[in-house]
Amino acid sequence: MTPENLLLRPLITQKCTLGCPDLDRCLGGGIPCNSITELVAESGCGKTQLCLQLALTAQLPIPLGGLSASSIYIHTEFPFPSRRLHQLSLAFHSSHPPIFGGDPCDYIFVQGVHSADQMLGIMTKMEQFVENSRTQLPVRLIVIDSIAALFRSEFDNTPVELKRRSSLFFKISGKLKSLAKRFGLAVVVTNQVVDLVGSEGINGLRIGNLASLCSSGRRVCPALGLAWANCVNSRLFLARHEEVDKEENELGDVNLQSTRSRRRLHVVFAPHLPESCCEFVITRKGIFGVEREQNAAKRNEA
Amino acid sequence: MSQKEVVPLLMLLPFAGAQTAWDMLHEDEMFPRITTSCLDLDNILGGGINCKEVTEIGGVPGMGKTQLGIQLAVNVQIPVDYGGLGAKAIYIDTEGSFMVERVLQIAEACIEDMTECNGLLRKDFQAGQLKMHPNNILENIFYFRVCSYTEQIALTNYLDKFISEHKDVKVVIVDSVTFHFRQDFDDMALRTRLLSGIALKLMKLAKEHGLAVVLLNQVTTKYIEGSFQLTLALGDSWSHSCTNRVILYWNGNERYAYIDKSPSLRSASAPYSVTSKGIRNSASTCKRIRMM
Repeated sequence: MTPENLLLRPLITQKCTLGCPDLDRCLGGGIPCNSITELVAESGCGKTQLCLQLALTAQLPIPLGGLSASSIYIHTEFPFPSRRLHQLSLAFHSSHPPIFGGDPCDYIFVQGVHSADQMLGIMTKMEQFVENSRTQLPVRLIVIDSIAALFRSEFDNTPVELKRRSSLFFKISGKLKSLAKRFGLAVVVTNQVVDLVGSEGINGLRIGNLASLCSSGRRVCPALGLAWANCVNSRLFLARHEEVDKEENELGDVNLQSTRSRRRLHVVFAPHLPESCCEFVITRKGIFGVEREQNAAKRNEA
Repeated sequence: MSQKEVVPLLMLLPFAGAQTAWDMLHEDEMFPRITTSCLDLDNILGGGINCKEVTEIGGVPGMGKTQLGIQLAVNVQIPVDYGGLGAKAIYIDTEGSFMVERVLQIAEACIEDMTECNGLLRKDFQAGQLKMHPNNILENIFYFRVCSYTEQIALTNYLDKFISEHKDVKVVIVDSVTFHFRQDFDDMALRTRLLSGIALKLMKLAKEHGLAVVLLNQVTTKYIEGSFQLTLALGDSWSHSCTNRVILYWNGNERYAYIDKSPSLRSASAPYSVTSKGIRNSASTCKRIRMM
Protein backbone atom coordinates (compact mmCIF):
# COMPACT_ATOMS: atom_id res chain seq x y z
CA MET A 1 0.00 0.00 0.00
CA THR A 2 1.63 3.18 -1.08
CA PRO A 3 0.21 6.64 -0.73
CA GLU A 4 -0.69 8.49 -3.89
CA ASN A 5 1.76 11.13 -5.00
CA LEU A 6 -0.37 14.27 -4.95
CA LEU A 7 2.09 16.14 -7.14
CA LEU A 8 1.43 13.65 -9.93
CA ARG A 9 -2.27 14.46 -9.87
CA PRO A 10 -3.46 17.33 -12.04
CA LEU A 11 -3.41 20.37 -9.78
CA ILE A 12 -6.93 21.18 -10.83
CA THR A 13 -9.41 18.32 -10.88
CA GLN A 14 -10.66 17.62 -14.37
CA LYS A 15 -14.14 18.92 -14.94
CA CYS A 16 -16.83 18.66 -17.59
CA THR A 17 -18.06 21.98 -18.91
CA LEU A 18 -21.79 22.71 -18.76
CA GLY A 19 -21.49 24.39 -22.14
CA CYS A 20 -21.74 27.90 -20.75
CA PRO A 21 -18.91 29.99 -19.26
CA ASP A 22 -21.20 31.67 -16.71
CA LEU A 23 -22.45 28.39 -15.30
CA ASP A 24 -18.92 26.97 -15.40
CA ARG A 25 -17.60 29.94 -13.45
CA CYS A 26 -20.12 29.32 -10.70
CA LEU A 27 -18.98 25.71 -10.49
CA GLY A 28 -15.25 26.31 -10.64
CA GLY A 29 -14.97 24.98 -14.19
CA GLY A 30 -17.80 22.49 -14.45
CA ILE A 31 -18.86 19.15 -13.01
CA PRO A 32 -15.80 17.53 -11.37
CA CYS A 33 -14.58 14.05 -12.22
CA ASN A 34 -13.94 11.50 -9.52
CA SER A 35 -16.93 12.51 -7.40
CA ILE A 36 -20.71 12.49 -7.24
CA THR A 37 -22.51 15.75 -7.93
CA GLU A 38 -26.20 15.92 -7.07
CA LEU A 39 -28.66 18.18 -8.88
CA VAL A 40 -31.70 18.93 -6.75
CA ALA A 41 -34.78 20.66 -8.10
CA GLU A 42 -38.52 20.50 -8.21
CA SER A 43 -40.14 19.21 -11.37
CA GLY A 44 -39.77 21.35 -14.41
CA CYS A 45 -36.74 23.30 -13.23
CA GLY A 46 -34.29 21.92 -15.71
CA LYS A 47 -32.48 19.01 -14.07
CA THR A 48 -33.08 16.64 -16.98
CA GLN A 49 -32.23 19.37 -19.47
CA LEU A 50 -28.93 20.00 -17.74
CA CYS A 51 -28.14 16.29 -17.70
CA LEU A 52 -28.88 15.90 -21.40
CA GLN A 53 -26.72 18.92 -22.07
CA LEU A 54 -23.87 17.42 -20.05
CA ALA A 55 -24.10 14.17 -22.01
CA LEU A 56 -23.42 16.28 -25.09
CA THR A 57 -20.76 18.64 -23.71
CA ALA A 58 -18.87 15.64 -22.32
CA GLN A 59 -18.12 14.76 -25.92
CA LEU A 60 -16.23 18.00 -26.48
CA PRO A 61 -12.45 17.71 -26.63
CA ILE A 62 -10.60 18.41 -23.41
CA PRO A 63 -9.16 21.80 -24.53
CA LEU A 64 -12.76 22.97 -24.97
CA GLY A 65 -13.69 21.87 -21.47
CA GLY A 66 -15.20 18.51 -22.36
CA LEU A 67 -14.08 15.07 -21.37
CA SER A 68 -13.78 13.72 -24.92
CA ALA A 69 -16.10 11.04 -23.66
CA SER A 70 -19.26 9.03 -24.06
CA SER A 71 -21.80 8.86 -21.31
CA ILE A 72 -24.12 6.39 -19.67
CA TYR A 73 -27.55 7.90 -19.04
CA ILE A 74 -29.68 5.98 -16.59
CA HIS A 75 -33.26 7.15 -16.41
CA THR A 76 -35.79 6.09 -13.86
CA GLU A 77 -38.74 8.05 -15.13
CA PHE A 78 -40.33 7.01 -18.34
CA PRO A 79 -40.24 7.71 -21.19
CA PHE A 80 -36.73 8.94 -21.86
CA PRO A 81 -36.87 12.47 -23.35
CA SER A 82 -35.41 11.47 -26.70
CA ARG A 83 -37.08 14.28 -28.61
CA ARG A 84 -35.55 16.93 -26.40
CA LEU A 85 -32.17 15.18 -26.64
CA HIS A 86 -32.44 15.21 -30.40
CA GLN A 87 -33.28 18.93 -30.38
CA LEU A 88 -30.33 19.71 -28.13
CA SER A 89 -27.97 17.57 -30.17
CA LEU A 90 -28.88 19.44 -33.34
CA ALA A 91 -28.08 22.73 -31.64
CA PHE A 92 -24.89 21.23 -30.24
CA HIS A 93 -23.83 19.92 -33.62
CA SER A 94 -24.40 23.25 -35.30
CA SER A 95 -22.62 25.33 -32.69
CA HIS A 96 -19.53 23.15 -32.61
CA PRO A 97 -17.40 22.38 -35.64
CA PRO A 98 -17.46 18.70 -36.56
CA ILE A 99 -14.90 17.28 -34.17
CA PHE A 100 -15.72 13.73 -35.00
CA GLY A 101 -18.03 12.02 -37.39
CA GLY A 102 -21.45 10.77 -36.49
CA ASP A 103 -24.40 11.72 -34.43
CA PRO A 104 -23.69 12.93 -30.87
CA CYS A 105 -26.54 10.69 -29.75
CA ASP A 106 -24.42 7.69 -30.68
CA TYR A 107 -22.18 8.49 -27.76
CA ILE A 108 -24.93 8.49 -25.15
CA PHE A 109 -25.87 5.06 -23.83
CA VAL A 110 -29.34 5.08 -22.33
CA GLN A 111 -30.66 2.54 -19.84
CA GLY A 112 -33.99 2.54 -18.05
CA VAL A 113 -34.10 1.30 -14.46
CA HIS A 114 -37.22 0.57 -12.42
CA SER A 115 -36.07 -0.13 -8.88
CA ALA A 116 -33.24 0.36 -6.41
CA ASP A 117 -32.38 -3.33 -6.47
CA GLN A 118 -32.21 -3.27 -10.24
CA MET A 119 -29.94 -0.23 -10.00
CA LEU A 120 -27.58 -2.13 -7.73
CA GLY A 121 -27.82 -5.10 -10.06
CA ILE A 122 -26.63 -3.24 -13.14
CA MET A 123 -23.56 -1.76 -11.45
CA THR A 124 -21.39 -4.70 -12.43
CA LYS A 125 -22.68 -4.52 -15.97
CA MET A 126 -21.88 -0.79 -16.00
CA GLU A 127 -18.38 -1.40 -14.73
CA GLN A 128 -17.71 -3.93 -17.48
CA PHE A 129 -19.20 -1.57 -20.04
CA VAL A 130 -16.95 1.28 -18.96
CA GLU A 131 -13.92 -0.95 -18.88
CA ASN A 132 -14.48 -2.54 -22.24
CA SER A 133 -16.11 0.28 -24.17
CA ARG A 134 -14.92 -0.03 -27.69
CA THR A 135 -16.45 3.16 -28.95
CA GLN A 136 -14.28 5.96 -30.21
CA LEU A 137 -14.86 7.88 -26.99
CA PRO A 138 -14.47 6.07 -23.65
CA VAL A 139 -17.21 6.50 -21.06
CA ARG A 140 -16.34 9.26 -18.60
CA LEU A 141 -19.77 10.48 -17.49
CA ILE A 142 -22.57 8.66 -15.71
CA VAL A 143 -25.93 10.32 -15.21
CA ILE A 144 -28.68 8.91 -12.99
CA ASP A 145 -31.93 10.77 -13.56
CA SER A 146 -33.41 10.59 -11.00
CA ILE A 147 -32.31 8.70 -7.91
CA ALA A 148 -35.39 9.80 -6.01
CA ALA A 149 -37.79 7.95 -8.29
CA LEU A 150 -36.06 4.68 -7.36
CA PHE A 151 -36.81 5.08 -3.69
CA ARG A 152 -39.94 7.14 -3.28
CA SER A 153 -42.60 4.48 -3.40
CA GLU A 154 -41.29 1.06 -2.57
CA PHE A 155 -40.29 1.60 1.07
CA ASP A 156 -42.73 1.76 3.98
CA ASN A 157 -42.28 4.45 6.55
CA THR A 158 -41.13 2.11 9.31
CA PRO A 159 -37.71 2.37 10.99
CA VAL A 160 -36.67 -1.03 9.61
CA GLU A 161 -37.58 -0.15 6.05
CA LEU A 162 -35.95 3.27 6.30
CA LYS A 163 -32.79 1.63 7.56
CA ARG A 164 -32.86 -0.78 4.64
CA ARG A 165 -33.36 2.16 2.32
CA SER A 166 -30.38 3.99 3.88
CA SER A 167 -28.16 0.96 3.43
CA LEU A 168 -29.04 0.91 -0.24
CA PHE A 169 -28.05 4.58 -0.54
CA PHE A 170 -24.61 3.85 0.84
CA LYS A 171 -24.20 0.72 -1.24
CA ILE A 172 -25.11 2.46 -4.50
CA SER A 173 -23.09 5.55 -3.65
CA GLY A 174 -20.12 3.43 -2.59
CA LYS A 175 -20.13 1.56 -5.87
CA LEU A 176 -20.55 4.74 -7.91
CA LYS A 177 -17.66 6.42 -6.08
CA SER A 178 -15.50 3.38 -6.58
CA LEU A 179 -16.25 3.45 -10.33
CA ALA A 180 -15.65 7.20 -10.40
CA LYS A 181 -12.28 6.76 -8.82
CA ARG A 182 -11.22 3.81 -10.91
CA PHE A 183 -12.04 5.38 -14.27
CA GLY A 184 -11.92 9.08 -13.42
CA LEU A 185 -15.65 9.44 -14.09
CA ALA A 186 -17.92 12.38 -13.39
CA VAL A 187 -21.13 11.13 -11.82
CA VAL A 188 -24.27 13.28 -11.81
CA VAL A 189 -27.35 12.23 -9.89
CA THR A 190 -30.61 14.16 -9.89
CA ASN A 191 -32.95 14.36 -6.94
CA GLN A 192 -36.39 15.76 -6.29
CA VAL A 193 -37.64 18.01 -3.50
CA VAL A 194 -40.20 17.63 -0.78
CA ASP A 195 -41.96 20.40 1.06
CA LEU A 196 -40.37 21.63 4.23
CA VAL A 197 -42.75 21.03 7.08
CA GLY A 198 -42.12 23.30 10.04
CA SER A 199 -38.75 24.74 10.90
CA GLU A 200 -37.71 22.16 13.44
CA GLY A 201 -36.95 18.50 13.41
CA ILE A 202 -35.39 16.41 10.75
CA ASN A 203 -37.36 17.87 7.90
CA GLY A 204 -36.13 21.32 8.88
CA LEU A 205 -32.54 20.21 9.34
CA ARG A 206 -30.12 22.65 7.84
CA ILE A 207 -27.70 21.08 5.41
CA GLY A 208 -25.21 23.16 3.54
CA ASN A 209 -24.74 26.85 3.06
CA LEU A 210 -28.25 27.88 2.16
CA ALA A 211 -30.45 28.58 5.15
CA SER A 212 -33.36 27.18 3.27
CA LEU A 213 -34.09 26.14 -0.25
CA CYS A 214 -36.94 27.96 -1.90
CA SER A 215 -38.48 27.26 -5.24
CA SER A 216 -41.73 28.49 -6.74
CA GLY A 217 -42.54 30.20 -3.49
CA ARG A 218 -42.36 26.97 -1.47
CA ARG A 219 -39.80 26.13 1.15
CA VAL A 220 -38.38 22.79 0.13
CA CYS A 221 -35.69 20.33 0.99
CA PRO A 222 -34.11 17.58 -1.08
CA ALA A 223 -35.82 14.18 -1.02
CA LEU A 224 -34.31 11.07 0.53
CA GLY A 225 -33.21 12.80 3.73
CA LEU A 226 -29.99 13.13 5.64
CA ALA A 227 -28.69 9.66 4.81
CA TRP A 228 -28.60 10.34 1.07
CA ALA A 229 -27.10 13.81 1.67
CA ASN A 230 -24.13 12.02 3.22
CA CYS A 231 -23.66 10.01 0.03
CA VAL A 232 -22.91 12.81 -2.41
CA ASN A 233 -19.83 15.00 -2.64
CA SER A 234 -21.48 18.12 -4.00
CA ARG A 235 -25.05 19.35 -4.02
CA LEU A 236 -26.42 21.88 -6.50
CA PHE A 237 -29.93 23.31 -6.31
CA LEU A 238 -31.91 24.61 -9.27
CA ALA A 239 -34.62 27.01 -8.18
CA ARG A 240 -37.33 28.89 -9.91
CA HIS A 241 -39.28 31.83 -8.68
CA GLU A 242 -41.85 34.04 -10.26
CA GLU A 243 -40.89 37.65 -10.35
CA VAL A 244 -43.61 40.18 -10.64
CA ASP A 245 -42.83 43.17 -12.82
CA LYS A 246 -44.96 46.00 -11.75
CA GLU A 247 -45.44 48.71 -14.28
CA GLU A 248 -46.63 52.14 -13.56
CA ASN A 249 -48.63 54.16 -16.02
CA GLU A 250 -48.23 57.93 -16.48
CA LEU A 251 -50.45 58.74 -13.53
CA GLY A 252 -48.24 56.72 -11.21
CA ASP A 253 -50.81 54.00 -10.74
CA VAL A 254 -49.43 50.52 -10.48
CA ASN A 255 -51.66 48.44 -12.61
CA LEU A 256 -49.87 46.42 -15.23
CA GLN A 257 -48.26 43.35 -13.75
CA SER A 258 -46.52 40.59 -15.58
CA THR A 259 -44.73 37.68 -14.07
CA ARG A 260 -41.44 36.31 -15.24
CA SER A 261 -39.81 33.07 -14.36
CA ARG A 262 -36.35 33.58 -12.93
CA ARG A 263 -34.17 30.55 -12.56
CA ARG A 264 -31.07 30.15 -10.42
CA LEU A 265 -28.42 27.52 -9.90
CA HIS A 266 -27.16 27.46 -6.30
CA VAL A 267 -24.17 25.67 -4.82
CA VAL A 268 -25.50 24.18 -1.58
CA PHE A 269 -22.32 22.40 -0.58
CA ALA A 270 -19.16 21.29 -2.35
CA PRO A 271 -15.66 20.55 -1.11
CA HIS A 272 -14.09 23.00 -3.53
CA LEU A 273 -16.68 25.74 -3.96
CA PRO A 274 -17.92 28.64 -1.88
CA GLU A 275 -21.61 29.42 -1.66
CA SER A 276 -22.62 31.06 -4.91
CA CYS A 277 -25.41 31.21 -7.39
CA CYS A 278 -25.91 31.91 -11.02
CA GLU A 279 -29.01 32.85 -12.94
CA PHE A 280 -29.85 30.82 -16.03
CA VAL A 281 -32.42 30.46 -18.77
CA ILE A 282 -33.72 27.47 -20.66
CA THR A 283 -33.91 27.98 -24.40
CA ARG A 284 -34.46 25.75 -27.36
CA LYS A 285 -30.72 25.36 -27.60
CA GLY A 286 -30.18 24.45 -24.00
CA ILE A 287 -29.42 25.92 -20.59
CA PHE A 288 -27.29 29.02 -20.41
CA GLY A 289 -26.20 31.28 -17.62
CA VAL A 290 -27.22 34.87 -17.55
CA GLU A 291 -24.66 37.25 -16.26
CA ARG A 292 -26.36 40.23 -14.76
CA GLU A 293 -24.52 43.46 -15.59
CA GLN A 294 -23.91 44.34 -11.97
CA ASN A 295 -22.23 40.98 -11.34
CA ALA A 296 -19.89 41.47 -14.28
CA ALA A 297 -18.98 44.92 -13.00
CA LYS A 298 -18.35 43.58 -9.50
CA ARG A 299 -16.14 40.86 -10.91
CA ASN A 300 -14.11 43.35 -12.90
CA GLU A 301 -13.62 45.50 -9.84
CA ALA A 302 -12.32 42.65 -7.69
CA MET B 1 19.23 9.66 58.21
CA SER B 2 16.61 8.36 60.52
CA GLN B 3 13.81 6.16 59.26
CA LYS B 4 11.42 9.03 59.77
CA GLU B 5 13.36 11.11 57.25
CA VAL B 6 13.91 8.39 54.65
CA VAL B 7 10.36 7.09 54.29
CA PRO B 8 8.89 10.35 52.92
CA LEU B 9 11.77 10.48 50.40
CA LEU B 10 11.11 6.89 49.32
CA MET B 11 7.47 7.80 48.80
CA LEU B 12 8.55 10.35 46.20
CA LEU B 13 10.35 7.80 44.06
CA PRO B 14 8.20 6.83 41.05
CA PHE B 15 7.24 3.18 40.85
CA ALA B 16 8.91 1.43 37.95
CA GLY B 17 6.84 2.07 34.82
CA ALA B 18 4.43 4.51 36.42
CA GLN B 19 4.57 8.21 35.83
CA THR B 20 4.19 11.04 38.20
CA ALA B 21 1.69 13.72 37.32
CA TRP B 22 4.65 16.07 36.99
CA ASP B 23 6.19 13.89 34.26
CA MET B 24 2.89 13.72 32.47
CA LEU B 25 2.56 17.48 32.49
CA HIS B 26 6.02 17.78 31.01
CA GLU B 27 5.10 15.28 28.36
CA ASP B 28 2.03 17.28 27.52
CA GLU B 29 4.19 20.28 26.90
CA MET B 30 6.44 18.23 24.62
CA PHE B 31 3.49 17.49 22.36
CA PRO B 32 2.30 20.80 20.98
CA ARG B 33 -1.20 20.98 19.63
CA ILE B 34 -2.17 21.42 15.98
CA THR B 35 -3.89 24.73 15.37
CA THR B 36 -7.16 24.84 13.43
CA SER B 37 -6.44 28.41 12.23
CA CYS B 38 -9.51 29.56 14.14
CA LEU B 39 -8.68 31.17 17.46
CA ASP B 40 -12.03 30.44 19.10
CA LEU B 41 -11.94 26.82 18.00
CA ASP B 42 -8.36 26.42 19.23
CA ASN B 43 -9.40 27.88 22.56
CA ILE B 44 -12.17 25.40 23.29
CA LEU B 45 -9.79 22.63 22.19
CA GLY B 46 -7.25 23.75 24.75
CA GLY B 47 -4.95 25.24 22.13
CA GLY B 48 -5.66 22.98 19.17
CA ILE B 49 -5.98 19.31 18.28
CA ASN B 50 -4.04 17.26 20.79
CA CYS B 51 -1.44 14.70 19.84
CA LYS B 52 -1.55 11.28 21.51
CA GLU B 53 -5.37 11.40 21.36
CA VAL B 54 -8.17 10.42 19.04
CA THR B 55 -10.51 13.31 18.26
CA GLU B 56 -13.79 12.65 16.50
CA ILE B 57 -15.43 15.51 14.61
CA GLY B 58 -18.94 15.11 13.27
CA GLY B 59 -21.49 17.22 11.45
CA VAL B 60 -24.02 17.31 8.62
CA PRO B 61 -22.84 17.66 5.02
CA GLY B 62 -21.64 21.15 4.23
CA MET B 63 -20.49 21.85 7.78
CA GLY B 64 -16.82 21.92 6.82
CA LYS B 65 -15.50 18.57 8.06
CA THR B 66 -13.34 17.97 5.00
CA GLN B 67 -12.24 21.62 5.14
CA LEU B 68 -11.12 21.13 8.75
CA GLY B 69 -9.40 17.89 7.83
CA ILE B 70 -7.43 19.58 5.06
CA GLN B 71 -6.63 22.57 7.29
CA LEU B 72 -5.12 20.24 9.88
CA ALA B 73 -3.15 18.32 7.24
CA VAL B 74 -1.65 21.68 6.21
CA ASN B 75 -1.23 23.17 9.69
CA VAL B 76 0.67 20.19 11.09
CA GLN B 77 3.39 21.24 8.64
CA ILE B 78 3.79 24.75 10.07
CA PRO B 79 7.48 24.98 11.02
CA VAL B 80 8.49 24.86 14.65
CA ASP B 81 9.82 28.42 14.34
CA TYR B 82 6.26 29.56 13.67
CA GLY B 83 4.77 27.67 16.59
CA GLY B 84 3.88 24.55 14.62
CA LEU B 85 5.03 20.95 14.63
CA GLY B 86 7.01 20.94 11.37
CA ALA B 87 5.58 17.50 10.76
CA LYS B 88 3.72 15.53 8.07
CA ALA B 89 0.19 14.22 7.64
CA ILE B 90 -1.60 11.07 6.58
CA TYR B 91 -4.97 11.72 4.93
CA ILE B 92 -7.26 8.74 4.44
CA ASP B 93 -10.03 9.66 2.02
CA THR B 94 -12.99 7.27 2.03
CA GLU B 95 -15.48 9.50 0.23
CA GLY B 96 -13.58 11.25 -2.54
CA SER B 97 -14.05 14.78 -1.18
CA PHE B 98 -10.33 15.60 -1.14
CA MET B 99 -9.55 17.92 -4.03
CA VAL B 100 -5.99 19.01 -4.72
CA GLU B 101 -6.98 22.50 -5.87
CA ARG B 102 -8.63 23.14 -2.51
CA VAL B 103 -5.56 21.87 -0.64
CA LEU B 104 -3.39 24.22 -2.70
CA GLN B 105 -5.69 27.14 -1.91
CA ILE B 106 -5.48 26.43 1.82
CA ALA B 107 -1.71 25.80 1.63
CA GLU B 108 -1.11 29.10 -0.18
CA ALA B 109 -3.15 30.99 2.40
CA CYS B 110 -1.21 29.33 5.23
CA ILE B 111 2.11 30.33 3.70
CA GLU B 112 0.80 33.85 3.12
CA ASP B 113 -0.19 34.13 6.77
CA MET B 114 3.23 32.96 7.88
CA THR B 115 5.01 35.33 5.51
CA GLU B 116 2.89 38.18 6.84
CA CYS B 117 3.81 37.17 10.36
CA ASN B 118 7.42 37.16 9.24
CA GLY B 119 7.08 40.67 7.94
CA LEU B 120 5.34 42.00 11.04
CA LEU B 121 7.34 40.45 13.83
CA ARG B 122 10.64 39.26 12.59
CA LYS B 123 12.09 42.16 10.68
CA ASP B 124 15.46 41.57 12.25
CA PHE B 125 15.39 37.80 12.13
CA GLN B 126 17.19 37.15 8.86
CA ALA B 127 17.57 33.43 9.28
CA GLY B 128 13.83 32.83 9.46
CA GLN B 129 13.17 33.28 5.75
CA LEU B 130 10.19 31.17 4.85
CA LYS B 131 11.13 28.79 2.07
CA MET B 132 7.89 26.86 1.90
CA HIS B 133 6.07 26.44 -1.35
CA PRO B 134 2.53 25.06 -1.72
CA ASN B 135 3.98 22.03 -3.53
CA ASN B 136 6.07 21.20 -0.46
CA ILE B 137 2.87 21.13 1.54
CA LEU B 138 1.31 18.73 -0.96
CA GLU B 139 4.36 16.50 -0.81
CA ASN B 140 4.10 16.19 2.95
CA ILE B 141 0.55 14.83 2.90
CA PHE B 142 0.51 11.07 2.49
CA TYR B 143 -2.80 10.55 0.74
CA PHE B 144 -4.64 7.22 0.66
CA ARG B 145 -7.98 6.64 -1.04
CA VAL B 146 -9.99 3.67 0.16
CA CYS B 147 -13.06 2.37 -1.62
CA SER B 148 -14.41 -0.32 0.68
CA TYR B 149 -14.44 -1.28 4.33
CA THR B 150 -11.98 -4.09 3.70
CA GLU B 151 -9.53 -1.61 2.21
CA GLN B 152 -10.10 0.66 5.18
CA ILE B 153 -9.33 -2.11 7.65
CA ALA B 154 -6.27 -3.27 5.72
CA LEU B 155 -4.92 0.27 5.61
CA THR B 156 -5.55 0.81 9.31
CA ASN B 157 -3.55 -2.35 10.04
CA TYR B 158 -0.74 -1.16 7.80
CA LEU B 159 -0.44 2.29 9.37
CA ASP B 160 1.75 1.19 12.26
CA LYS B 161 4.42 -0.02 9.83
CA PHE B 162 4.10 3.05 7.63
CA ILE B 163 4.40 5.45 10.53
CA SER B 164 7.40 3.56 11.89
CA GLU B 165 9.07 4.28 8.56
CA HIS B 166 7.87 7.90 8.50
CA LYS B 167 8.37 9.11 12.02
CA ASP B 168 7.64 12.70 11.11
CA VAL B 169 3.93 12.00 10.65
CA LYS B 170 2.08 13.69 13.49
CA VAL B 171 -1.52 13.59 12.32
CA VAL B 172 -3.71 10.90 10.77
CA ILE B 173 -7.00 12.15 9.35
CA VAL B 174 -9.77 9.75 8.29
CA ASP B 175 -12.44 11.42 6.09
CA SER B 176 -14.85 9.94 6.89
CA VAL B 177 -14.43 6.99 9.18
CA THR B 178 -18.10 6.13 8.71
CA PHE B 179 -18.92 5.97 5.06
CA HIS B 180 -18.04 2.39 4.17
CA PHE B 181 -19.61 0.98 7.32
CA ARG B 182 -23.10 2.30 6.68
CA GLN B 183 -23.87 -0.26 4.03
CA ASP B 184 -25.83 -3.31 4.96
CA PHE B 185 -23.90 -5.64 7.18
CA ASP B 186 -25.76 -8.92 7.40
CA ASP B 187 -24.08 -9.48 10.70
CA MET B 188 -24.21 -6.34 12.82
CA ALA B 189 -22.11 -7.98 15.48
CA LEU B 190 -19.39 -8.31 12.85
CA ARG B 191 -19.62 -4.63 12.10
CA THR B 192 -19.25 -3.78 15.76
CA ARG B 193 -16.23 -6.05 16.04
CA LEU B 194 -14.59 -4.56 12.96
CA LEU B 195 -15.19 -1.02 14.15
CA SER B 196 -13.83 -1.78 17.62
CA GLY B 197 -10.78 -3.29 15.98
CA ILE B 198 -10.17 -0.14 14.00
CA ALA B 199 -10.77 2.06 17.03
CA LEU B 200 -8.28 0.15 19.16
CA LYS B 201 -5.62 0.25 16.46
CA LEU B 202 -6.05 3.98 16.02
CA MET B 203 -5.90 4.68 19.73
CA LYS B 204 -2.74 2.59 19.96
CA LEU B 205 -1.20 4.49 17.03
CA ALA B 206 -1.96 7.81 18.70
CA LYS B 207 -0.41 6.78 21.99
CA GLU B 208 2.63 4.91 20.73
CA HIS B 209 3.66 7.37 18.06
CA GLY B 210 2.54 10.49 19.89
CA LEU B 211 0.43 11.67 17.00
CA ALA B 212 -3.07 13.08 16.65
CA VAL B 213 -5.77 10.93 15.11
CA VAL B 214 -8.70 12.91 13.72
CA LEU B 215 -11.80 10.97 12.69
CA LEU B 216 -14.40 12.82 10.65
CA ASN B 217 -17.84 11.34 11.13
CA GLN B 218 -21.28 11.75 9.63
CA VAL B 219 -24.46 12.38 11.53
CA THR B 220 -27.61 10.36 11.38
CA THR B 221 -31.00 10.49 12.98
CA LYS B 222 -32.01 8.28 15.84
CA TYR B 223 -35.42 7.71 17.28
CA ILE B 224 -34.95 8.62 20.93
CA GLU B 225 -37.80 9.12 23.37
CA GLY B 226 -40.48 9.63 20.80
CA SER B 227 -38.68 11.91 18.39
CA PHE B 228 -35.92 11.87 15.85
CA GLN B 229 -32.68 13.36 17.07
CA LEU B 230 -29.33 13.99 15.47
CA THR B 231 -26.55 11.74 16.55
CA LEU B 232 -23.10 10.79 15.29
CA ALA B 233 -23.17 7.75 13.05
CA LEU B 234 -21.90 4.26 13.89
CA GLY B 235 -23.93 3.78 17.02
CA ASP B 236 -23.34 3.82 20.73
CA SER B 237 -20.64 1.18 20.73
CA TRP B 238 -18.40 3.50 18.72
CA SER B 239 -18.63 6.36 21.18
CA HIS B 240 -16.04 4.77 23.47
CA SER B 241 -13.51 4.79 20.68
CA CYS B 242 -12.40 8.36 20.81
CA THR B 243 -10.91 10.54 23.48
CA ASN B 244 -12.52 13.78 22.38
CA ARG B 245 -15.69 14.39 20.47
CA VAL B 246 -16.53 17.61 18.66
CA ILE B 247 -19.86 18.31 17.00
CA LEU B 248 -20.21 20.90 14.27
CA TYR B 249 -23.60 22.53 13.91
CA TRP B 250 -25.44 25.51 12.47
CA ASN B 251 -26.57 28.25 14.78
CA GLY B 252 -28.66 30.48 12.56
CA ASN B 253 -26.30 31.46 9.77
CA GLU B 254 -23.14 30.74 11.70
CA ARG B 255 -21.10 27.60 12.00
CA TYR B 256 -20.36 26.43 15.54
CA ALA B 257 -18.28 23.67 17.10
CA TYR B 258 -19.21 22.06 20.40
CA ILE B 259 -17.06 19.90 22.67
CA ASP B 260 -19.37 17.01 23.31
CA LYS B 261 -17.03 14.74 25.21
CA SER B 262 -13.55 15.14 26.57
CA PRO B 263 -11.65 14.01 29.64
CA SER B 264 -9.86 17.32 29.95
CA LEU B 265 -11.81 19.99 28.09
CA ARG B 266 -14.86 21.82 29.31
CA SER B 267 -18.06 21.58 27.30
CA ALA B 268 -18.02 24.75 25.27
CA SER B 269 -19.02 26.13 21.91
CA ALA B 270 -17.11 28.31 19.52
CA PRO B 271 -18.00 29.89 16.19
CA TYR B 272 -15.81 29.31 13.14
CA SER B 273 -16.05 29.98 9.45
CA VAL B 274 -15.04 28.36 6.19
CA THR B 275 -13.42 30.84 3.81
CA SER B 276 -11.44 30.64 0.60
CA LYS B 277 -8.35 30.51 2.82
CA GLY B 278 -9.67 27.58 4.84
CA ILE B 279 -10.95 27.46 8.41
CA ARG B 280 -10.81 30.87 10.06
CA ASN B 281 -12.36 32.87 12.84
CA SER B 282 -15.99 33.62 12.31
CA ALA B 283 -16.67 37.04 10.82
CA SER B 284 -18.37 38.29 13.96
CA THR B 285 -15.29 37.34 15.99
CA CYS B 286 -13.14 39.35 13.63
CA LYS B 287 -15.37 42.34 14.14
CA ARG B 288 -15.04 41.95 17.91
CA ILE B 289 -11.27 41.78 17.73
CA ARG B 290 -11.09 44.80 15.50
CA MET B 291 -13.27 46.84 17.81
CA MET B 292 -11.00 46.09 20.75
